Amino acid sequence: MESSGLGIDQNLSGASDDFPALLRRRGLLATAPSPAAGPRIENKDWIPTQATTILAFKFQGGVLVAGDRRATAGNTVVYDRADKVLEIDRHSIMAIAGVPATAWEMARVLEHSFQFFRRTQLQEMSVDGKVRALSKLLRDNFGFVLQGVGVVVPIFATYDENSDPAARLYFYDAMGAQFEVADYAATGSGSPAVRGILHYENNWGKKALAKLSEDEAVTIALRALDTAAESDTATGGVDRNAKIFPVIKIVSRDGITTLPEKKIAAVFKRSVA
Amino acid sequence: MIEEPYRWVEAIANRAEYIETQLASGSPIVALGYRDGILFVTLGKTRQKLFEIYDRIAMGAIGHPGDIERLRMAAIELASTEGFTRSAADVSLRRLAHYSLSPVLKTAFEQVYGAPYLARLLFAEIGAKQENDLFLRLDYDGAIATNSANFAQTRQDFGALSGTRQSTELMEKYLAAEHSSGATFERALKLSLDAWTVGQLALGDEGVNELPPRDKIVAERKERLRAAGIEAAVLDRGDRIAIRYRTLNEQEIRSALGD
Repeated sequence: MESSGLGIDQNLSGASDDFPALLRRRGLLATAPSPAAGPRIENKDWIPTQATTILAFKFQGGVLVAGDRRATAGNTVVYDRADKVLEIDRHSIMAIAGVPATAWEMARVLEHSFQFFRRTQLQEMSVDGKVRALSKLLRDNFGFVLQGVGVVVPIFATYDENSDPAARLYFYDAMGAQFEVADYAATGSGSPAVRGILHYENNWGKKALAKLSEDEAVTIALRALDTAAESDTATGGVDRNAKIFPVIKIVSRDGITTLPEKKIAAVFKRSVA
Repeated sequence: MIEEPYRWVEAIANRAEYIETQLASGSPIVALGYRDGILFVTLGKTRQKLFEIYDRIAMGAIGHPGDIERLRMAAIELASTEGFTRSAADVSLRRLAHYSLSPVLKTAFEQVYGAPYLARLLFAEIGAKQENDLFLRLDYDGAIATNSANFAQTRQDFGALSGTRQSTELMEKYLAAEHSSGATFERALKLSLDAWTVGQLALGDEGVNELPPRDKIVAERKERLRAAGIEAAVLDRGDRIAIRYRTLNEQEIRSALGD
């Protein structure tokens, strides 16, 4: 801990600073080069990759958020137990597609931002405030995206009893634009397949997504991720040999539940495998 | 003035007297370790006096709201940046108080041309086990008192803070005699309100300097509770969630109190 602590309040900046600004003031958070000034990527064919698949949809019990476990670098699989579905606070989940280092750091900043706001301002940050905070982190990161070293395309799900609807779901683009969705969202390289499945299920499936029970929702999530993995090499799907299952979390009025692997395995065995 | 050592000592003494006068009417704050956590209690809800600092650290304060705010903000910033760069487990109340807050308070107090902090703070940090709980009082001159065992005292499971030394000491005397660490929440709540009453009775020019009889404390507690709002918060010992701080609402407190 720094010993020079109390320099903060001389210009009354303490109360109005948000957490990322505090970190930057202390040199603890990298500032991305300005998108206007930073060096451009030489390779014209370069496309920012978000090699993964994450998805989320609203169902009867709240919002389900799921992500596969594979982490890749180019066409090498570097890790098969990555956790891309992260708890930010008691009622918020962020799922990440993109460069892991940047994404995990972003999640960490976000988590601390919400706590910091509540502790300093003595009130909970609003849903809009939380959604916007992530948007600003993405925007601040855009210089790194242009350099090809830090693209992140997250999904954000939260549950707030005082808002209407109570379950809220957003996806973002790499520049920080936020899009609220009514039913489902999917990002990452495997997302086209997932979007197809979720769209089909929602409109012509046995039930609309919003009417699914927990087991039915888990079934759809597993089938969708497995389908994405079928054509997308960067998506792990379900690893049948090593018994590695996607991470699935549910956010509802009671907070966040991480589904135990046993339960996911049982649903998989019954209705997917 | 401060060229002469004697004048400096005199200036410091005057300043201490001035601050003591300003703090003298502060409503006492009690922090009590019980079976399931640490309970913070105070009365008189004109403004908030109990605050969350970090996952396992809470603070109660008396003094000037502006000064309390500066210290509170500094404590939160220090704890949050430490928790972010290292981990929540690396945020420690001992380090926060000894290495950061205390030196700053002492410097402000002794630089006689600048303004001192008109504040007195009581911190508590919940440990994995009850014997790891830390209670720490930080005064306007940077002086630190903790609950840990030393040559003068055995380890205590509580912390007390009040407007005057006499009041604080009486509260500590009362708690040392009455409090047992395995207390239930209901028992801890009643006891902390009694301790608050003892502290309150000791304030002012006509304040008592000996422990009042038990029935007087109880009668006085009930009387005060009718007139004032209770502010209370707990640090929960359960390790299911990282953030242990929780404010109790008035209804929750009154129903636990049962009177």
